[in-house]
Amino acid sequence: MASDRIFGLVVAVVALAYIAGATQIQTSFLSDPVGPKTFPIIIGSVATIAGLFMVFKPDPEPDWPVLRTFGALFFAVVVLVLYAYALKPLGFLIPTAIAAGVLSYQIKPQALKAALSGLGLSIGLFLLFKFALDLGLVGFPKSWTG
Amino acid sequence: MDIMSNLALGFSIALSPYTLMLAVAGCFLGTIIGALPGLGPSNGVAILIPITFTLGLDATSALVLMTSVYYGAMYGGRISSILLNIPGDEPALMTTLDGYPMAKQGRAGDALVLSGVASFVGAFLATIGLMLLAPMLSQVAYQFGQAEYFALYLLAFCTLGGMASNNQAKSAIAACIGLGIAMIGYDSRGMPRLTGGNLHLYDGIDFLVAIVGLFAIAEVFFFIESHGKKSSIGVKLDKVRIPWKDIYATRWTMLRSSFVGFIAGILPGAGASLGSFLAYMSEKSIAGKNGGFGKGAVKGVAAPEAGNNSAAGGALVPMLTLGVPGSGTTAVLLALLMTLNITPGPTLFTDRPEVVWGLIASLLIANFVLLLMNVPMVKIFVKVLMVPPWILLPGVTMVSFVGIYSLSGSYFDLLLMVGFGVLGYVLRKLDIPTVPVILGILLGGKMEDALRNAMVISGGDVMYLFSTPISIGLWIAAIVGFVAPMFLRRFLKKPQAITD
Amino acid sequence: MSKHFFKTFAIAATLGIGAPVIATAQAAECIAPANPGGGWDFTCRQIGKIMFDIGAVDKPIQVTNMAGGGGGLAFTNVVAERNEDANLIIAASTATSTRLAQNAYAGMTADQVRFVGAIGIDPGVIVVAADSPFMTLSDLLEAVVADPASVTFAGGSAVGGFDHMKPLMLLQRAGLTDITTVKYIGLDGGGDAITQTIGGFTQAMTGDMSEIVGFLASGDVRALAVLTSERVEGFEDIPTAVEQGYDVVAGNWRGLYIPRGVSDETFDMWADRLQQVADSDEWAEAMAANGLAPFTLVGDDFQAYIDNLIVEIRQMSIEIGVIQ
Repeated sequence: MASDRIFGLVVAVVALAYIAGATQIQTSFLSDPVGPKTFPIIIGSVATIAGLFMVFKPDPEPDWPVLRTFGALFFAVVVLVLYAYALKPLGFLIPTAIAAGVLSYQIKPQALKAALSGLGLSIGLFLLFKFALDLGLVGFPKSWTG
Repeated sequence: MDIMSNLALGFSIALSPYTLMLAVAGCFLGTIIGALPGLGPSNGVAILIPITFTLGLDATSALVLMTSVYYGAMYGGRISSILLNIPGDEPALMTTLDGYPMAKQGRAGDALVLSGVASFVGAFLATIGLMLLAPMLSQVAYQFGQAEYFALYLLAFCTLGGMASNNQAKSAIAACIGLGIAMIGYDSRGMPRLTGGNLHLYDGIDFLVAIVGLFAIAEVFFFIESHGKKSSIGVKLDKVRIPWKDIYATRWTMLRSSFVGFIAGILPGAGASLGSFLAYMSEKSIAGKNGGFGKGAVKGVAAPEAGNNSAAGGALVPMLTLGVPGSGTTAVLLALLMTLNITPGPTLFTDRPEVVWGLIASLLIANFVLLLMNVPMVKIFVKVLMVPPWILLPGVTMVSFVGIYSLSGSYFDLLLMVGFGVLGYVLRKLDIPTVPVILGILLGGKMEDALRNAMVISGGDVMYLFSTPISIGLWIAAIVGFVAPMFLRRFLKKPQAITD
Repeated sequence: MSKHFFKTFAIAATLGIGAPVIATAQAAECIAPANPGGGWDFTCRQIGKIMFDIGAVDKPIQVTNMAGGGGGLAFTNVVAERNEDANLIIAASTATSTRLAQNAYAGMTADQVRFVGAIGIDPGVIVVAADSPFMTLSDLLEAVVADPASVTFAGGSAVGGFDHMKPLMLLQRAGLTDITTVKYIGLDGGGDAITQTIGGFTQAMTGDMSEIVGFLASGDVRALAVLTSERVEGFEDIPTAVEQGYDVVAGNWRGLYIPRGVSDETFDMWADRLQQVADSDEWAEAMAANGLAPFTLVGDDFQAYIDNLIVEIRQMSIEIGVIQ
């Protein structure tokens, strides 16, 4: 109940902000009858109505995981974000081994197996992408290889 | 005779050793992807697109490879449905109803082979149907002006939305999220919109980033939440032999279900889920109370598989001829076509016959390859189910990252992808369908252009949108498609209610 | 980022200085500023392959796809980071010059690179449905001049794109004063535009010859004019706009540009190689297979052609309000 109401409210607010953003779109001198604003405004309006509908007629509450699991999920997102930033400066192998290992541990908490699967995935995928599929991956940080 | 000469052209392309090799590789890979718990046709094809793209395959080869993966995943999906009671994606859901009970009775091998044959019949008949119907439909496309296209896109959202969720408001929100994202970046007249001044957003958000995030990354979050608990083989698989008796007994079921599935697949936005659902339901009502449906009936295994694979083929008809996908997976295939600079539509058949007919021929070939792979070799694919999720899911994540990274080389797209993963998780938790989001991102620009072009032609007269019988018909169908499921659901309980 | 930039710059500079020596030793690169499968990709792959096949270069030319900003990403990249790379060619077409004229490359200008040449053109055409009342180009243009709202043109490029410019250039010659009243819709490629025209939703289609060949053969459309100076070989029954009294020559040329900072020798070397491709049988075959007409303009003549084209497009774009 509450989840649907909150989400519906968020949708409605974001949609209104979206409409506000759409009204700021610059119209070019060469304008057609519809223009660049109309369609985004229609979308925003439909979303607002649907969002309010969710507020007033919510479905039963989904079974959310316990707080600790939320912590784990948040941590996974942080790892993935860091991984995204690390991929270019640090090369493929090291960040991949760490990120894959952490995710593996999060799915099943067994340290050694997680570490091994991280390492294995990192090396295995690198060989696959670099040599079998010929993608231009960089293995190690640029400063190591010059 | 036109079809025969076109088909000959298709086979001359599809039977080249290279293309044939791609088809076999695609089928193999696809079956594995379909069999892996948590991966299905949509996310399997989604994570492979960026990589296929960077391989620099030409359009026909890439298309052959990916449709083989698509068909393969449709076949493979039944393996985890039957053995684990876990459908790889929604269309495979109906197969669990009788497939898993049948497997629990010690007939896992029979269920796998029977469903493999049913898949073949469904997919084969659908490919024939595609071959006959698509060229005809591409003629009809001359009747489609900008107003008609606008109504058609609307119909796709309405029927898909109506089917995908029990709650119409939620479907509408999903579609609006997708459409809203599609508006970001330059519009078709060169005006930058809703970018917030962020240069990364001027070219808009790449639909591949969204697809991989919503389908693949979100899945990883679900596995972290459940600690991979849901995957373990619950039944034993002994000898695999061919159950001729069952195949013979279900021959009419397969034919009927193929027909029902194909029709369901053609409806824009309806797709494979509806195909397997209708096929199962109609066979159930034909069999009556004594049919044993839900307790491991052979017809209950054959019907949804024939229906679902047939719908998968049928869904290619509107996708190729009108550019409107009939299901989540065909939406992903549409994304593939768009990345390859192929514009689906009526002219595809005249402009790029080698693409269309090469595709159709390779679908026929893929079918035979899949039948051969899935009946004698099914035990190999069952082994795939043993891959533990703590290796599989990190692997899926890394492949997704590499794929998206190799497309643009930008960390910004990777961050967006993670963002879409979170969004996908939240949406699915709240029972908001994700497929309309994808459809919105894919079709948003086209839908808006159709509206704006229609208004240019009419000089701003809104009534132009309702000025031909076709457009009026499409508007009515759209409204019915959106509203009808609310009432239908009272009579036919949603399949979710009968699992377990 | 800046470190990376300087490194690239240093390498580029070294290459530039050593160009005469290195040019023969190292494989050249052709950037297609779009995804695989499009026209620019075709240009790079065909020209690259033929240059190697006929021995104009000793090593196969490597094709890189750099999509983004309608070619703007590649253009910016070449200007900023590879300005003296003698081993680099970039595929270009009418779209490149149109966008440069309309300032669509983030303030970049045509004089920041050197245009080597064009070796083929997809001639512009104006077509109507087979059952259209317009029998000649004059019929169509006069109808628009009399009532601009009565005709909608459909084309395969966006509003303000080159397909849009073609009817505008013609209508200006026909005496229409306010070209902003002309109705044009931009669709996803010429095929869609022609389908809309055959279906009767739009009254005329503006596009390229290669887009209409199949429809001409099937008799669904009638070509009112081809925008070349002479009638096109193989399509002799289509009159030119020039002979009907409208002096417009416009087509989608296919060619190359190279970085600004290279020596004149390098420019001449690429011009010569391009000329060799233009003269080859392989290129003649590739053109025939892809609906291109011969159009060879290499070296300084081509640069002059580009300069004129850009001036005209810019003027027209200002007039219709695509740019200020």
